[in-house]
Amino acid sequence: MQDNLAAVGLFVVSGAVALSIPAVRARLSSMRTGVALLAVVAALSMLGVLIGQDLPVESYSARFGPVVGPFVARSGLASVFGTWYFLAAAWALTLSVLSCSLGRILRLARSGRRGSVRAAALGSLVTHLSLAAVVAGGVVTATLGFRRADGRFLAAGHTTEVPEGGFALEVIEASTEFDESGALKDYVSIVNVIENGESEGPHRIEVNHPLTVNGVSVYQYEMLPSPDSVESVLLGVVLNLPDGASDPVELLVPFGEEKELPDGGLRVKPLEFLSDFTYDIDSSTAGLRSIWHDNPAVLVRVSAADETVFERWLFVGARAHADDEDLPCRLYFLDYEPDFRNGLTRFEYSRQPGTPLVFGGLAALSVGMCVVLWTKMSRREGS
Amino acid sequence: MNGPDAVFFWAAFACYLAGTVVASLYAGLRRPGLRRASLALTALGFAASTVGLIVRTALSGHLPVTNLYEYLTFFAWAIVAGFLLLWKREDLRLMTVFGAPVAFAMMVVASLFPSDIEQQLIPALQSHWLTIHVTLAVLGEAAFAVAFVSSILQLVAGRGGTGGASGARTAGPERGATGRPAARMGDPARLDEITYKAIGVGFPLFTVGALFAGAVWAQRAWGSAWSWDPKETSSLIVWLVYAIYLHVRLVRGWRGRGPAVLSIVGFALTFFTILGSRILGGLHSYG
Repeated sequence: MQDNLAAVGLFVVSGAVALSIPAVRARLSSMRTGVALLAVVAALSMLGVLIGQDLPVESYSARFGPVVGPFVARSGLASVFGTWYFLAAAWALTLSVLSCSLGRILRLARSGRRGSVRAAALGSLVTHLSLAAVVAGGVVTATLGFRRADGRFLAAGHTTEVPEGGFALEVIEASTEFDESGALKDYVSIVNVIENGESEGPHRIEVNHPLTVNGVSVYQYEMLPSPDSVESVLLGVVLNLPDGASDPVELLVPFGEEKELPDGGLRVKPLEFLSDFTYDIDSSTAGLRSIWHDNPAVLVRVSAADETVFERWLFVGARAHADDEDLPCRLYFLDYEPDFRNGLTRFEYSRQPGTPLVFGGLAALSVGMCVVLWTKMSRREGS
Repeated sequence: MNGPDAVFFWAAFACYLAGTVVASLYAGLRRPGLRRASLALTALGFAASTVGLIVRTALSGHLPVTNLYEYLTFFAWAIVAGFLLLWKREDLRLMTVFGAPVAFAMMVVASLFPSDIEQQLIPALQSHWLTIHVTLAVLGEAAFAVAFVSSILQLVAGRGGTGGASGARTAGPERGATGRPAARMGDPARLDEITYKAIGVGFPLFTVGALFAGAVWAQRAWGSAWSWDPKETSSLIVWLVYAIYLHVRLVRGWRGRGPAVLSIVGFALTFFTILGSRILGGLHSYG
């Protein structure tokens, strides 16, 4: 932040010095300069759009070749909106607008114009000053604000400290909601706010509805289904009958519930689920390699008359175990319905202290330009 | 195509296509009956498109502006609305028939995208700002489309050496016109005036809709009013180009070729902004 403040200070001081020199002010307030600067900012922005921003260097080499690609990355064009030349152009444009506004204020104060001419002049002044307000708001946010995603996903019961907020969030529930047709409806986190040892809530955070506490807004950023539970598993069942293997059948089994296999004597129950299965040989335990669903596995138990016949980890897309021919049945893990009710949530935190200036500026800009255009057009109609 | 609104989409498509053919004939032959026929076909297409949009709104439960098919269909509707507002202007006889070709072009592009009706919007789009942001932006862009056509006609007319900034001729010859094609386009000064007025209407709408409402929604949804997303940035470029247009037009008093070229560039960038997120990705890639 100190670097940002130093840069802003440098810009403000250099701007004030520039505006205090009449010749520089005259140059900056000329329409030719203003239009040229608008064109430069537009051209650099266009470059930024076409080149693509903040991509890995390799992707620029892939897109533009081995010579131009690294040049794009080195010259700053890959992050053009933070380069000194873009910031300088934007700053010069702001100075031009300010200088122009200064001239307008002086002219407006001196002139005895009334009616629509004065309204147009005032509208024009408001339009130009509001642009400066928008830029100022952006600078305030860039200098004093922040926007940061939480580094980890949180499950119900987890707590996280909110950066620069002075409070923590305790996740009560993280779920993905669907409508009756099964279409995605919303990502919802229910949280308690913990501040000074006091817990307050619950609060609902969803997309488009952040929670704001102490000036820091908490946004619903990402949501994943549970990594260690599912709603149900779809099994393929082949019975090893004395006269050979039966035809395969599909069996949908709710997680944690027991269901009878087609022959009537055996029952199957999914005991555990791991979205990214890994196995520690030393401790002989299965575990999660990650929270992603990269290697889903389910532990099932097959029993007969309350006696366990066998337990197996089954893997999506994998064949049955080698020795399954000796068992009364072979099971295949065909698919599963993820558990979206007990998911993992991830937040983004943001404080944007310049926002009131930006929105106020944009509102004033809209009003100002409407006044200018309306008065100019109605004058033209009248004449 | 699926959904009952597709019938109205294709009806509008056919009307605009027929309107384009008749408009071309009118541009060459200058028979008043052809202009009337072209306008009637355009109005018919507009009515079909209106019904289609209403049906789609009723079926989906939200304004149909959530993917490129819907956006471009709505955009075509708004463009035609803009041209129909001018149809009584006697001095803009040729220009008024150009609503159908522009709308037809938009409908052709729209037809290339999936038209499935999504009753349940994705979480990011579930906001009343969707209606405000997109509707105002589309209306502003439609006004830019009107300015685009008048600028092209102005450039062609200007090449013929008639009219000029003096605006000597207020209405082009109709039946029996024997002048060069450029002379038939209309009075360049009048076309220049239409360009200016269309941009004068479109610029505030675009500012409020695309930039202001968009910034408010972005703050609410993404935690920042501005993210230098490709669509945001290209909208800013469009805004800068039209800002330059208004400066040179209002402050410097420029008329003629220069501002007309800026208006054409502005609309080309507007169209790039609409389709750009499809190519460039970013936060606005919804479909």
